[in-house]
Amino acid sequence: MNPQFIMDGLVAGAMIGLGAIGVTLTYSILRFANFAHGEFLSWGAYLALTVSGGLGFLATGLTRPIAPFSFGWSLPFALVIAIFLTGLLALALDAVLFARLRSRGSAVIILVMASFGASLALRSLLEFLFTSKPAYYTKALQIAVRLGGGVRATPDQLLSLGVTVVVVVVIHLLLTRTEIGRSMRAVSENPALAGIAGIDVRRVIRFVWFIGAGLACIAGTMTGLLVQIRPYLGHDLLLPLFSAAILGGIGSVPGAMIAGLIVGLSEAGAVQLVGAEWRSAVSFVILVLVLLLRPRGLFGRAA
Amino acid sequence: MSLDLISYAAFFLTMALTYAVMCLGLNIQWGQTGLFNVGIAAFVAIGAYASAILTTPDAPDRLGGFDLPIAVGWLGGALAAGLAAWFVGALTIRLRADYLAIATFGVAVSVQLCVLNIQPLTGGAFGIGFIPRPFNSLAGDPLAFGLANLALMAGLVLVLYLALQHLAKSPWGRVLRAIREDEVAAQALGKRPVRFRLQAFTIGGAIMGLAGAAQGHFIGFIAPDNYLPILTFQVWAMLIVGGSGNNRGAIIGAILVWGIWALSAAAVSAFVPPEQQARAAALQIVMIGVGLCLILLLRPRGLIGESRSLLSTRKSRKP
Amino acid sequence: MNGASHIATAGAPALETRGLVAGYEPDLSIVRGVDLSVASGELLVLLGPNGAGKSTLVKAIAGVVPIHAGTVSIGGREITALPAHRKIGEGLAFVPQTENIFATLSIQENLQIAAAILPKTRRAERIAAMYAQFPDLAVKPARLAGSLSGGQRQMLAIARALMVDPPVLILDEPSAGLSPKIVADVFAMLTDINRTGVTVVLVEQNVKAALAIASRAIILVEGRIGHEGAAQDLLDDPILARLYLGTGQAMEAKRP
Repeated sequence: MNPQFIMDGLVAGAMIGLGAIGVTLTYSILRFANFAHGEFLSWGAYLALTVSGGLGFLATGLTRPIAPFSFGWSLPFALVIAIFLTGLLALALDAVLFARLRSRGSAVIILVMASFGASLALRSLLEFLFTSKPAYYTKALQIAVRLGGGVRATPDQLLSLGVTVVVVVVIHLLLTRTEIGRSMRAVSENPALAGIAGIDVRRVIRFVWFIGAGLACIAGTMTGLLVQIRPYLGHDLLLPLFSAAILGGIGSVPGAMIAGLIVGLSEAGAVQLVGAEWRSAVSFVILVLVLLLRPRGLFGRAA
Repeated sequence: MSLDLISYAAFFLTMALTYAVMCLGLNIQWGQTGLFNVGIAAFVAIGAYASAILTTPDAPDRLGGFDLPIAVGWLGGALAAGLAAWFVGALTIRLRADYLAIATFGVAVSVQLCVLNIQPLTGGAFGIGFIPRPFNSLAGDPLAFGLANLALMAGLVLVLYLALQHLAKSPWGRVLRAIREDEVAAQALGKRPVRFRLQAFTIGGAIMGLAGAAQGHFIGFIAPDNYLPILTFQVWAMLIVGGSGNNRGAIIGAILVWGIWALSAAAVSAFVPPEQQARAAALQIVMIGVGLCLILLLRPRGLIGESRSLLSTRKSRKP
Repeated sequence: MNGASHIATAGAPALETRGLVAGYEPDLSIVRGVDLSVASGELLVLLGPNGAGKSTLVKAIAGVVPIHAGTVSIGGREITALPAHRKIGEGLAFVPQTENIFATLSIQENLQIAAAILPKTRRAERIAAMYAQFPDLAVKPARLAGSLSGGQRQMLAIARALMVDPPVLILDEPSAGLSPKIVADVFAMLTDINRTGVTVVLVEQNVKAALAIASRAIILVEGRIGHEGAAQDLLDDPILARLYLGTGQAMEAKRP
C-alpha cells in the first residue's frame, strides 16, 4: 500500500474533524442532529471566496501568492471575515427557525426536520447564486514536497494541518479552562440546572452556534483551497461529519477530532484498496459499526 | 387534442399516485410512529432495482434479468426494501431518535453509490431499461394504455389505503398510538416499543419499495438520477402538506405537491432561457426547503391535515 | 450580612407571592392561586399530600415552571417575569430535588459556575468561604461531582446555592433519598444557615423532622393553601395533621 494515503487521510481527516467538532458541540448543547451543519461549510467556503475576491479587487497586491503557498493575503483576511459572517448566518438561522421551535417545546425530531429543510434551502440558494460550476480561491499551481518515506504534501496541505492543530488546541482550552467553556459543559449536562445556577442558557446557545459555524467555515475554506469549492461541498461531507461526531462520542471535542482523523484515514485507505468510487461508503460503514458495537462512541458518556 | 390531454392527465395522475404510495409508506413511519426517515430515495431505489432485476429479460451485459412476471417484481421490490428498512431500524431504533435519521441519510448515500458502481447488477449510471410495463399489449393505443395503468395504480393506492386504515384501527395500530402518546405507560402494559416501532419502520420501507417497483414498471426504465436526495425532499413535502398521521392527507398531498412541482418545472422550461434553467431549478428547491420550514413553524399539523400529530410531543412530567 | 446587590425594601417580606397560578402546560394549572408571605429570617416548611403542588410552587417561584398568573417578589421587588438565571442575581437561590449538581464537572467547577454572577473580585473569596463552611468539599476540589456520596452532593448543591450569599434559599425535598443520619446532618445545616439570617423555604415529605426545625408551616392542598400556622402547633395537633397530610402515618418520617 502506498504510504501517501496517510498524508491524504490526515488532510481529509483534519477537515472532517473540524466540522465534526462543530456538530458535536451543537448536538450536545442543542440536543439535535443538525442536518444544516454541512451547509455552514459550503457557505463558509463561498463567503471566503466572495470576500477574498472583493479584497483582491480593491488591492490587487493581496492576491499575489505568499511563497510557498498558492494564495495571497486576501484569503487569510477573507477567512477571518467569513468566520464572522458564517457565525452570523448560524445565529440568524437559529433566531428565525430553531429558537422558535425550541420555545414552543417541539420534539427533537421536529428540529432535525427543520434543519433538513434549512439545509435544502441553503444549499440550493448557493447553487442559485454561484451555479454548480466548481470555483477556486487561486489559479496558482503548487508542487508537492517530498517529506520522506514516499510521502508528499503541498505547502497548502501542511499549512492546513498546522492551522487545524492550533484551532483544536484553542477550542479545547476554551472548553476546559474558561468560564464560557464551563458554562457550555454545564448546559450540555443539564440546561435547567444551568439556568438556576445563573447561567444565561440562551447566551451559551448563541455562543455555540457561532463557534460551530466558525469552525465549519474554516473546514469549508480549507476543503475549498485543497480540493475545490462547490455548493455540494458541505453536503458531501455531512455523513463523514456525523460519523466522526458519533464515533468520537457526542460532546467530546478531542473525540470528534480523533474520530475525524480515523474517518479520513479510513477513506484514504479505502480509496487505495477498493477504489475512489467507494469513498463515501466508508463513513457509513464506520457509522454502522459504531452504532452496532459502541453507540456512545469512543469518548462519549453513557446515555 | 382532447384525447391527448386525457392521456397526458392519466400519465400525470399515475405518476402522482406512485408518489402517493411512497407518502403512505412514510406516513406509517413518521405520521403514526414518529420515526424520521431521511433516506426515502434509498428504499424507493432498492424496490425499483430489485423489481427491475427480477422482471427484465435476460441481458448479456449484466447479471440477472430473470424475466419473471411484474407481480413478482412488485413483491420482490417491497421485500428487498422492507429488509433494508428492518436492518437500519434494528440498528438504530433503540438509540437516540436522531440516530435513525443519520443512519437513513447514510443509507441514501450508500444506496446511491451502490447503484452507480455495482455495474454488473445495476447497469451503473445508465441504469436499467426494457423494464416490462403493465398492459404493454395496449401500447399501440396511448389512451387505453394510460387509463389502464392509471386504474392499476389507483387500485394499488386504494388497496393500500384500506389496508393501512384497517391497520391503524387494529390492536396493532392502537398499541403504536399508545406508544407514541406515552411510551412509559405502554411499556408498563408489557408492550415493547422497540419491536412495534421496528415493525412500523419495516412496513413503511416495504411500501416505499413497492412504490419504487411500481414506478419503475410504469416508466419502463430506471437510472440512479431518479433516486437523488431531492426525491426524499419531495415525499416529505407531500406528507407535510397533507398533514402527517393522516392517510387521506398523504394521498392528497402527493397529488397536490406533484402537481405544483410538475407545473413549475414546466413553467421553468417554457419561460426561462436554457442557460438559466439550472439556476431556476435550484430556486425551485430553495422554495421547497423554505416551505418545509414555514409549515413546521406556522402550520405544524399540515396544510390540510386534521388528525393529531406528533408535532408537540411534550414529555409527561411529574406534577 | 447580605451583599449590596440585594437591597430590600424595609419591612417587605423576604419572599412573597400573590395569586400565583402555575403549571407545566398552559391549560393545566397545578398551583391554583397561592398567596405566600415569608418574613425575613423565617424557616418555612411547605407540606402537603402528593400532587398538592408543593414542588411546582417552588419551581414556579424559581422560574423553572411557567407562571400563568400572579406575582413573585423578593424583598419587595417583583421578579415574576425574570428568566431563571436572573432570579439568582435578585437574591433567590433554589436547590432542586434531583440532579441538583453538575455531575460531569468537578466540585471546584460547580462552585465556579455559581460564582460567575459575582463581581470578579469577590469570586475567590466566596468560593473559599464555601469550602470553609463545607469542609468535606475542600478535601479534593478537583473530584468529579458525580462521584460524591448522596450527602456530599446535597452539600455541594447547597454550597452552590449559597455562593451568592442569597437572602432567600428555597429547597425542594433536600432529604429525598438520603439515610436518616444524613438527613439529620442536612437539617442541622439548614438550621445553621437560617441562623445566619438567610430566609429558608423548604418543601418536605419528611414531616416530623421538617416541623422540628421550622418556625412556620404551610400545608398545600390541591394547589391552594389549606392551612398555615406555627410549626409547633401542627406538631401538637395530630387531628390537623391527619386531616391534611393523609393518615397519621404521614407524621412518621417515612420515605422510600
